[in-house]
Amino acid sequence: METAILTQGLSKTFGDTRALISLDLEVPRGEVIGYLGPNGAGKTTTLRLLLGLIRATEGRAEIFGIDCQEDPVGVHRGVAYVPGEVNLWPSLTGEETLHLLGRIQGSVDRTYRDALIERFGFDPSKKVRSYSKGNRQKLILIAGLMSRADLLLLDEPTSGLDPLMERAFRDCVQEAREHGQTVFLSSHILAEVEAVCDRIAILRAGRLVEIGTLADMRHLSALQVDATVDGVVPDLSHVPGVGAVEVEGNRLRCRVVGSMEPLVAALAGANVRHLVSTEPSLEELFLAYYGEDAAPEGSPDGA
Amino acid sequence: MEREGGAGERRAARTVAVTTARRAARPGALWGLVFGATIAASAISYDSAFPTSAARAGLTRLEGNTAFEALFGPIRRMDTVAGYTAYKSGMFVFVLAAIWGLLVATRQLRGEEDAGRWELFVSGHTSRGRAALDATIGLGAGALALWIPTFLLPAAAGASPKVGIGIGASLFFASAIASGALMFMAIGILASQLASTRHDANLLGAAILAVSYLLRMVADSDARLAWTRWLSPIGWFEELRPLTGSRPLAFVPIGVLVIACVAISVRSATRRDLGAGALRTRDRFRPRTFLLSGQAGLTLRLTRPVIAAWIAALVATGLVFGLVVQAAGNALATSPGIQEVIARLGVTNAGAAAYLGFVFVYAAALVAIAVASQVSAIRNEEAAGRLDNLLVRPVARWRWLAVRLAVGAGFVLLASMLVGGAAWVGAVSQHSSLGLGRLLEAGVNVAPPAIFVLGVGAFVFGLWPRAAIGVTYAVIVWSFLVEILAALVNSNHWLLDTSPFLHVTPAPATAPDWTAGAWLAGLGLIAAVGGVLGFVRRDLAGP
Repeated sequence: METAILTQGLSKTFGDTRALISLDLEVPRGEVIGYLGPNGAGKTTTLRLLLGLIRATEGRAEIFGIDCQEDPVGVHRGVAYVPGEVNLWPSLTGEETLHLLGRIQGSVDRTYRDALIERFGFDPSKKVRSYSKGNRQKLILIAGLMSRADLLLLDEPTSGLDPLMERAFRDCVQEAREHGQTVFLSSHILAEVEAVCDRIAILRAGRLVEIGTLADMRHLSALQVDATVDGVVPDLSHVPGVGAVEVEGNRLRCRVVGSMEPLVAALAGANVRHLVSTEPSLEELFLAYYGEDAAPEGSPDGA
Repeated sequence: MEREGGAGERRAARTVAVTTARRAARPGALWGLVFGATIAASAISYDSAFPTSAARAGLTRLEGNTAFEALFGPIRRMDTVAGYTAYKSGMFVFVLAAIWGLLVATRQLRGEEDAGRWELFVSGHTSRGRAALDATIGLGAGALALWIPTFLLPAAAGASPKVGIGIGASLFFASAIASGALMFMAIGILASQLASTRHDANLLGAAILAVSYLLRMVADSDARLAWTRWLSPIGWFEELRPLTGSRPLAFVPIGVLVIACVAISVRSATRRDLGAGALRTRDRFRPRTFLLSGQAGLTLRLTRPVIAAWIAALVATGLVFGLVVQAAGNALATSPGIQEVIARLGVTNAGAAAYLGFVFVYAAALVAIAVASQVSAIRNEEAAGRLDNLLVRPVARWRWLAVRLAVGAGFVLLASMLVGGAAWVGAVSQHSSLGLGRLLEAGVNVAPPAIFVLGVGAFVFGLWPRAAIGVTYAVIVWSFLVEILAALVNSNHWLLDTSPFLHVTPAPATAPDWTAGAWLAGLGLIAAVGGVLGFVRRDLAGP
């Protein structure tokens, strides 16, 4: 399958700050990938490197086989970028802005553009300076989507949008997928990523700490176990794979990484009355990577 | 609770005032230094430029000369250091102070509101009207910072027996100059309430400044129309007569204007919506896609208002030069002192052509400032993040910068030719014999220094983007100071060589030196190419 995005050892340092550390990433054409990380993790830096807006300190990146640093213009022909922070020309109207950006991009699906304006309930006749944050976000989103580019690079594209518009955005991503477009979605909104993405990459302090499908990640991660026993809960502190143990009377709550067998064996004598294991939600996974105590357990490289 | 609320409000008020003061005081002090140095240089140079009483008597012949008075205000007591200094630097410095006052006020009020930062202030422990008043107090600190060096440097120079200007006279002169900053700050504060964008507020303030200048020109060109001087804030400055018989009465309308503007502004700030202007504006617009088909068109569309304003100002300047050329030339021919001054700039003949050769140096400086505004526009496009929208699409970086620079260079050529052409129109109306070809040549002759400034600006932008605007203006200020110095004394040759303005001959007084011009423009071009190469290789840089 053709590769849409490929990075090898991609790194960026600003002064003393290592914003991105040796990123290796491969995204096949047609995939919708979610790019998660807290503020300052290096998400926007990754996107700006892919777009050639900043120079890589080390490593390389290519999009559809074109080197991002050597031939940014070639890369941009097949890419639409939606920034998280919108800075447009205040004296132009929404319509004028769409006209200009469409002309510069070189290709616009006019019917789709009109449909997007309709779907997002956007009034293009006002000057950019008088738009609210949400409307500016809609404008830049329409400008990006209307090109039907092969690759959509979206940097927190729904910040400032209300839940209805967020829903409309998810529909757009779904359409892009059906259209065969590749989508790289950097986001904070876990529900959004969970709903639309095929794979998820998690970034922490400039490093890629996890990448895979949500199912893979759940498999690798800790299960939440809740149990009630008749009698006393045995000491679980030395049971392999068991952590974050909380005991309240005859009720037990803990996390299990890997096989459930050791826990089941340890509880065998305690007469288990009730036992439920829950797969972590993306939010729990995310917190597991960033939460202070649980982070090292769930992370495969121990970072 | 109430006491706590009171303390919170006081703290909020202090924050607004102190923040604004900090942002206004530094540039204020810097400009005050330039103004003080300019005034002091005029005063110090008098004795060496006009050493004999015959030379000084020659200067007094300018008094009552309509052409010179229309240009820079009334001429009085030219046989004294004070009278000469008042005429030579008074109006020039006053107008610069007024422009600064206007720009700093609209930046701190409407500019902050445009950027959404004002909202943070007024959502705190303060009201909108109170915040506007506090910002006004902060701006007042900026005017004070401008006043201090404008007073101190000339006062220090005045202590020399050869200059002999008293502390009191320096104090009054500095106050008169600072009143320009203060009045146009007040006008800028009001314009910031009326208009809904900083751009519109600046246009409004600039229109008031232009009308004020025209009114005083009318007053100074015909004794019967002298009353129009009282209609113009710049006319009030003339009526103050600093250094030539101080008349503090004119401080009254100045004070009234400032207080009225501030009072209306505070009231308006309380009543209007945040983010909107008090004047009604339309909400919806029909799309005008004219010029919006590519990056070059966008550049033209975005820079068009600024370029049009500059061209109007430059054409007006050229026209004034032309209108006064005959009278000025005659005055020059009979004034050995001034001839000596302009001889230092390389003008050896007298008459109308000599006068134009002399004043076209000002045109060169204006065109250079105009082109520096293009460098600012280029950098601001990047700093504000708007450039990202183009560079994430198939637009090559080198191409973007090259187009912007080409527009800048085209503007320089057009503006300089129009200055020459307008001067010719003015001169012809006064039955001057100067030909169109010669004046167009003289116009084009002022282009190379501006091209050089543009090139230097592009170079710094390419390698050190955050310094681009500062360095570009610094080159102009430096060159202009060297230029003033050159007119005063026979200075060091190496020092003079650092000013690009001194590398062009004072056409039309002498034939243009196209070789020197080509060198200057060529160096600018090389610097610009360096800038483009640097820009292609560096990271985009935020504010």
